[in-house]
Amino acid sequence: MERSFEAEVELLKLGRGQAFHGEGILAVTKALLQSGVSYVGGYQGAPVSHIMDVLSDAREIMDELGIHIETNASEAGAAAMLGASINYPMRGAVVWKSTVGTNVASDALSNLASAGVKGGALIVIGEDYGEGASAIQERSHAFAMKSQLWMLDPRPNLPTIVHMVEKGFELSEASNTPVFLALRIRACHLHGSFEAKDNRSPLISRRHLLQNPDFDFGRVCLPPSTYAQEKHKTEVRWPAAVKFIREHGLNEFFAGAGTQPSDDVGIICQGGLYNATIRALQQLGLSDSFGATKIPIYCLNVTYPLVPEEVMQFCAGKRALLIIEEGQPAYIEDAVLAMLRRQEVIGAKVHGKDVLPSAGEYTNEVVLTGVARFVETSAPRGLDTAYIPKVHQRLAAAKSAAAELLGAPIPPRQPGFCVGCPERPVFSAMKLVERETGAFHISADIGCHTFSALAPFNIGNTVLGYGLGLASNSAVDSMFGRRTVTIMGDGGFWHNGLTSGVANAVFNKNDGILLIMKNGYTSATGTQNIPSSPHQTEYKSRDMGIEKTLAGLGVKWMKTVHNYRVSDMAKTLKEAMTSSFQGLKVIIAEGECQLERQRRIRPQNAERLGRGQRVVRERFGVDDDTCSGDHSCIRLSGCPSLTVKPSTDPLKLDPVAHVNNGCVGCGLCGEVAHAAILCPSFYRAEIVQNPGAWDRFLHLVRQTLIGWLQPQERKAA
Amino acid sequence: MNTSALPDRPVTILIAALGGEGGGVLADWIIAAAASQDYPVQSTSIPGVAQRTGATTYYVELYPAHIAELGDRRPVMALTPAPSYVDVMISSELLEAGRAMLNGFVTPERTTLIASTHRIYTVAERMHMGDGRFDSERILKAAQTMAKRAILFDMQDLAERSGTVISAVLFGALAGSGVLPLPRAACEEAIRKGVQGAAASLKGFELGYSYASGEAKQATPEELKRWRAAPSERVRKIFPAEAHPILEEGVARLADFQDRDYASLYLDRLEPIAKLDREQGGGASGYKLTCETGRFLALWMSYEDLIRVADLKSRRSRFERVRAEVEAKPHEPVHIIEYLKPGVEEAAAVLPPFLSKRLLAWTGKRGLTYKLNVGIYVKSTGVIGFLMLRTLAALRPLRRMSARYVEEQALIERWLRTVSDTAGRDLSLALEIGLCARIIKGYGETHRRGKASFLRILDTLVDGSTLDDRARTAAISKARDAALADPEGRGLENSLATHGIAALPPQPKPIRFMRRPPPDRRAA
Repeated sequence: MERSFEAEVELLKLGRGQAFHGEGILAVTKALLQSGVSYVGGYQGAPVSHIMDVLSDAREIMDELGIHIETNASEAGAAAMLGASINYPMRGAVVWKSTVGTNVASDALSNLASAGVKGGALIVIGEDYGEGASAIQERSHAFAMKSQLWMLDPRPNLPTIVHMVEKGFELSEASNTPVFLALRIRACHLHGSFEAKDNRSPLISRRHLLQNPDFDFGRVCLPPSTYAQEKHKTEVRWPAAVKFIREHGLNEFFAGAGTQPSDDVGIICQGGLYNATIRALQQLGLSDSFGATKIPIYCLNVTYPLVPEEVMQFCAGKRALLIIEEGQPAYIEDAVLAMLRRQEVIGAKVHGKDVLPSAGEYTNEVVLTGVARFVETSAPRGLDTAYIPKVHQRLAAAKSAAAELLGAPIPPRQPGFCVGCPERPVFSAMKLVERETGAFHISADIGCHTFSALAPFNIGNTVLGYGLGLASNSAVDSMFGRRTVTIMGDGGFWHNGLTSGVANAVFNKNDGILLIMKNGYTSATGTQNIPSSPHQTEYKSRDMGIEKTLAGLGVKWMKTVHNYRVSDMAKTLKEAMTSSFQGLKVIIAEGECQLERQRRIRPQNAERLGRGQRVVRERFGVDDDTCSGDHSCIRLSGCPSLTVKPSTDPLKLDPVAHVNNGCVGCGLCGEVAHAAILCPSFYRAEIVQNPGAWDRFLHLVRQTLIGWLQPQERKAA
Repeated sequence: MNTSALPDRPVTILIAALGGEGGGVLADWIIAAAASQDYPVQSTSIPGVAQRTGATTYYVELYPAHIAELGDRRPVMALTPAPSYVDVMISSELLEAGRAMLNGFVTPERTTLIASTHRIYTVAERMHMGDGRFDSERILKAAQTMAKRAILFDMQDLAERSGTVISAVLFGALAGSGVLPLPRAACEEAIRKGVQGAAASLKGFELGYSYASGEAKQATPEELKRWRAAPSERVRKIFPAEAHPILEEGVARLADFQDRDYASLYLDRLEPIAKLDREQGGGASGYKLTCETGRFLALWMSYEDLIRVADLKSRRSRFERVRAEVEAKPHEPVHIIEYLKPGVEEAAAVLPPFLSKRLLAWTGKRGLTYKLNVGIYVKSTGVIGFLMLRTLAALRPLRRMSARYVEEQALIERWLRTVSDTAGRDLSLALEIGLCARIIKGYGETHRRGKASFLRILDTLVDGSTLDDRARTAAISKARDAALADPEGRGLENSLATHGIAALPPQPKPIRFMRRPPPDRRAA
C-alpha cells in the first residue's frame, strides 16, 4: 500500500463539537472510535476498503487507544475474530464487501450468532449492489434472517449513519446478538458532515489487558448448548432486540409537518432508500425539499427484525401501503403481509414489487416511477395527482429525443486493465497460443484479471469466487482431452486458493495448469498488501513468498516468467500443455502492479531530474508512415494508451494506431508486434534527460555521420 | 420560518468521467467551495472497479440557500440523478456526453452541458479493422439541441497546456458558466486548499473559466495532413480538378517509392478510368471514381516491402517526427529502437520470382514459411543500425525484379480491369469495386487475410455474380464493411451467404492439438 491516508487520519482525531467533513465510510470509522471498540478487522473490497486502509495508517491513534487492528486473511477470518466478544465484554467491529464477503464469512457468523455475544459486535458490510457493483447481485438480508443477526440500513446522511453505528453496539449488547450495518455503495462514498464526539478508549484493550479466561460451556457451539442457544435466540434475544429498537426509536415516522398529509395511504421504505423516496415525492409535487411529505412514511433504519407493534400502528386505518424494498426476494413485503394477515387487518392493500421492479438498483428514476404508479392506483384522499402524467412524459421524452439525434447506440466503456498493467501481456500471450492450439478451457478467478473476459481478449469461461479458480477447474480438467488452464491472482491465492485450490489439486493429482498473477497486491480493491507483497510495513512479516509456499505444498513443476516477455509466456504455456509431467503445473506470472510501481517510481524520477541527474525516459510509438491502420495490434493489447488517431497521410482514410502520452513504456505493444509478427511500425524511444557529456558527444557524432548519409527529401508542405 | 421563501429544489450536478481523470477531485472542489459559502451540499460516487479506465459518474447536490437561514432544518438530498432533473451535466469526454444524453440527463428546460470535445476511444472503436470511431459530429449536434446551454471545447488540450489534469479545466468551465451560486474566488480557494499541484490546477481553472465565460475562443484544429507540394503538369492537363490533390500526391508518392517511370505508370493506369468517369457524367459526383481509384491505386502501388520500410524508417523527417511525438527537448538525445521481425515471407518478397518460388516451396514443405521469423531490435539512430536500414533501402532499383512486385502488379491490373469494365456502364458499381482495395492492408497474416477477402469479393460478387448491377453495388459495399468489421473473415462469408454464395470453410489454422499423455500414466 504505497498510498497514504494522512488527511483521513487527521479526521479521526476530531474531538467533541468539531465538524467532520468527509465520506460516509470514513464517518463510520470515526463512529467506531467514538463507540470505544477494542478491536477492528476485516477484508478489503469496494466499497468499504477505506476503513481498513485508514485505520492501518492511523497506528498512532490505535496505539494510544490500545485498539487491536488486523487485516484478516479473509472475511471468514474477520468474522471468527468477533469470537473475542463471545466471552468478554469488549466491542469489536469487522468490515467487508457483501454479499460475496458474507458468503465467505457465514460459517463463522452462524457459530458466532448461535453462541451470542457479551460485547457489542458490529459487522459493517458494503452492499455491493446496483450501478458500480463488481460482483453477483444478491441481498445480505437473508443472512440476518437465517442466523438471527440484526440488520441496520440507516438513512443515507452522516449524522444518522454515525448514530446507528453507536446504537448498533448498544443493540448488540442489549440482545447479545451481532449486528450488521449495511451501507450501499453510494452511501459509503456519500460526502457530507456531522458533529464529532471524542474517541473513547475501550475498557478492555492492549493497554488494559484481560486477566482471567472465561469458560462457559453454554457459549460453546456443541450440543446440548446449541439447542439452548437456539431457544435463547427466539425467546430472549429477539424480544430484547425488538424492545430496544422501539424504546430508542431507531425506526422513524415522517408525516409532513405544515402540510395536510393523506391519512389513508402510507409508504414503508428501507432507511437506505428514504432520500430516493423523498426526492420521488418531491418530483411528484408531494413533498418539499426538507422531506415534509404529504404521504406518511415509516422509515426502517432497522430492516431486521421488524417491530410488529410499529408496523401495525402505521398501517392502522390505511387503505393502501407501498413498500419500497430493494432487491429480491421481497422479505419485508412478505413479512408485513403476514403480520397484517395475522392481525386480520383486511382493509389495507399492500403494494411493492407489483409497481416496482423485483431486481436492480432503486435509483431515483425507478423509485419515482414506482411511487407514481402507486399514487395513481391508490388515489390518496385529498391529494392533487394531476402532476403525475406530466412527469412520466418528461422522463420518456428526454431519452427518445436523444436516441433519435444520436442515431446509433453509444459503445460501452467497461473497466479494463490500466496502462502498462502486467496482467494484460499474459492474456496477449494466451491469445497467441490459442491461435496455434485452438481455444482451451480457462477457469478464471476474482481480481483485475477477470477483465480478461471483456474485449479485446474475451478469455475466461467461468468465475466461481475469490481464490476458487483452481477448485472450479478440477472436474473440468479431467473431462478434456487436453489440459486446461486456471488463472488466479496472488490476492486470491492467499485468500483461499492456497488450500481449496493448490493443496487440493496437488493432493488429488490434478493434471491441470495454474497461472498465478503475481503483481504483489490485491490490486482490484485498492492495492492493499498481502503476505507476498514486495514492501511491508514494520507491522507485517516480510519473508512469505508464493514460490516457497508452493514448494512446501509439494508442487514439483513450477516456472516463473516475466509478464512482459510475451513470447516466453506463450512458450511456457505451450510447454505446460505438452509436458509429460503428471500433476499440477504452476506458472507464476511476475510483474508488479503498474499503479503501485508508478506511485513509487514517479516521485523518485522527479527527484533525480530535479537534482540534475541522468534519467532515461522510455516510451513507445507507432510510425504513421508504415502503419496501415488495420489495428491488429490493438486487438491483441487493448492498452488505453495504444489508441488511434487520424492518419497524417492524405491518402489513408482509416485512422492509424497511435501511442499517446499516457504510455509508461512497459513495452507490451512492441513485444506483441514481435510475438505475433504484426508489423514493423513499433519503435521504442529512449529519451536521455539531463544527458551527460558522453551522451552529448556520442549523439553529436551519430547525428553528423547519419546526417551525411541521409538522402535529401522533398519537404512536406 | 416559512418555507415558501426558500428555493423549492436543489441544484443538481452530474459529472461523467473516466477512471483516473480526477472526477472525484472535481466533486471535492465543488463541495469545498459550496461549504465555504455556507450552502448545504452533498456528493456521491460509484468508483468501485470502474476506476480502472471505465466510465464512472459523480453526483453532487447543492441547496442554494445558506445554512444560517435554515435553522435546524436540512434539505433531503438524493444519491442518484434523475432524468430531466439535472441542472449541470459535466462530461470529461465527448462520447460520455452522448451517453448522458441517451440516459435523459440532458434536457432543454434545465440542463447546462459542459463537455470536453476531445475523444478517448473505447476498445470497440479502436479494435475495428477500418474506422470504428463514433461520429463526433452527431454528438455535438445533439448537444446543441438537447441542452439548454452547451459549453463545448477541447479541455484536454487546455489541461495539457497548463500541465494539469482535465478536472481543473472542467472546474474552471463550471465556474465560468455562472450556473452555480459560487463566486470565482471561492472556487480558486478550494483548489488552493487541495493537496498538490495547486499552481498548475489554478492555471487550468483560469483557462477553463475564460473559455466558458466566452472571454477566449478556441481555434478549431484542422486535420493535419502532410501533403507533398508537387504540381504535376500531366495531372493538371488530363485529369479533373477535383482529383488533382490526390493524384499529385500519388505521383509524388510513387516517384518517391520507385522512380519517375513508376509515377507515370500510375497516371497511365488512371487515364482510361478518368476518361470513362467523364463520359459517364462523373462530374456530378465530383469525379469520385477517379479520386478514390487514384487514392487506393497510389497506396497499393507504394506497398510496404522490406526496402520501403527500411527507407521510411531511416529518413531525417522521420527522426524529427519521433522527437516531436515523444516530446523530447532540443538538448535531449533520443535513441530509436525499431521492433522488426522479418521472416521467409519478407525475404521471398524481395527475391526474383524463380528463387522466391523455390524458397517458399522448400519452407512450405517443412511448414516453416511462417516460423523462421527472427525478432531484431534495430537502433536506427545508431550508426550500424542506420547503415543496415540504408543498405536495404539501397535495393530500391532492383525492386522491379522482385517477386512481390510482379505479384502486386498482376493483382492491381486485374482490379483496375474490373473497375474500368464496369465504369463503362455503371459508375457507382465501379466505385464500389474501386473502394474494395481498402481491405488490403497490414503485414504478414493480417495482409494475407485482407488479400483473401479482397479476392473473395472479386471472385464472387464482381466476376461470378448473377446479380444485377444495382443489387451488386449494394452487395459489394455490404461485403466490404463486413470484411473490415471482422478480420477473421467470417463476417464476410456471412454477408456473402445472404446472396446465396456458399460460405468457404473456416481458414484452416496450423493447429497443434496438445493431447495430454494417457491417464493411466497419471498414477506415476
